[in-house]
Amino acid sequence: MNPLRRPAWSPYVAGALLGIVVACSMALGGHRLSGAGAWQHLSGYLGRVVTPDSLYWRGIVPTGITWDVWVIVGGLLGAFAASSLAGTFRIRTMPDRQWIDVFGPSRTKRFVLAFVGSMLTEIAGGIAGGCTASLAVSGGAALVPAAFLFMAGMFAGGIPTAWLIYRRR
Amino acid sequence: MDVLKPVLIGFCFGWLLQRAGLSRYDRIVNIFRLRDFAVMQFMLSALVVGALLLQVLAALGLAGDYPLPVTYVWGVLLGGVVFGAGMALSGFCPGTVAAGAGEGRIDYLIPGFLGLYAGAVLFGWLYPFVMPRLVALGNWGPVTIAEALGVRPWLVTAIAWELVLIGFYWLERGGRRRA
Repeated sequence: MNPLRRPAWSPYVAGALLGIVVACSMALGGHRLSGAGAWQHLSGYLGRVVTPDSLYWRGIVPTGITWDVWVIVGGLLGAFAASSLAGTFRIRTMPDRQWIDVFGPSRTKRFVLAFVGSMLTEIAGGIAGGCTASLAVSGGAALVPAAFLFMAGMFAGGIPTAWLIYRRR
Repeated sequence: MDVLKPVLIGFCFGWLLQRAGLSRYDRIVNIFRLRDFAVMQFMLSALVVGALLLQVLAALGLAGDYPLPVTYVWGVLLGGVVFGAGMALSGFCPGTVAAGAGEGRIDYLIPGFLGLYAGAVLFGWLYPFVMPRLVALGNWGPVTIAEALGVRPWLVTAIAWELVLIGFYWLERGGRRRA
């Protein structure tokens, strides 16, 4: 079967290809690959209105349609192309499996936890100085100690949380 | 600004996340239940291939400058813990939200994007109260492991490959035994 249409790629192969993308982004583009960065660069549009004299939006983080924002635009397009070509694109509001078994069919519950969880990851990305892509993978590819500390922290936070959610099952 | 390059990089990123199934709730959560290791297989493959390629590009004189993450031990650990908790609750991280939205998931597109935005604004607001002190704790600066230990980067790359390959071998063997 044509690999461009195959719905599931080996995580080893997909990961290795991402390694090439990450190295090119850093060594040739001058930017770490980032998921969280885009939102920080967009945050000033609201943040500067709410707290006009904030040190953060004045000097720490740029506000604008930056490299990281275009990466997210590309990410949307890439996932759309990949799922369309594989025939797996589908408009849906709930996870395909496992969620309903644990939390029930309530869409409100899913949306609330999705909001809270993604908010936590973005705050945490700010605290740690990067996310899964920009700190763990890009920082990891640069072999920086923070990348490995961050991954250890991820498991130290994720395992107990998942245990609390799934312990009755 | 150059738009084509980041869009192309993002396109590959979104494509690979989608095809590796990282845009799925269960796949992200089950790494923390130690039941599905695709996230680690994906991330660590990217890490070691990226590390090798960065070394090769640098050796060929083709690598430009890029910003190194700063290692401030306590902040990075704390951030990691909160990040993992957020991932286990929602089943995504900032990058996979875009990939999930791109394959038609409304729970990624609306509460996911809004949550990330709210988190970014909240962090910006908290920044002056928290971060200057947190970043100063155990701050090693923007160093690589090789610089911190005073060894050649190639050695660290080789050790990373060896550990990751041992990990993958162990995972694959364990997986087959369970099956």
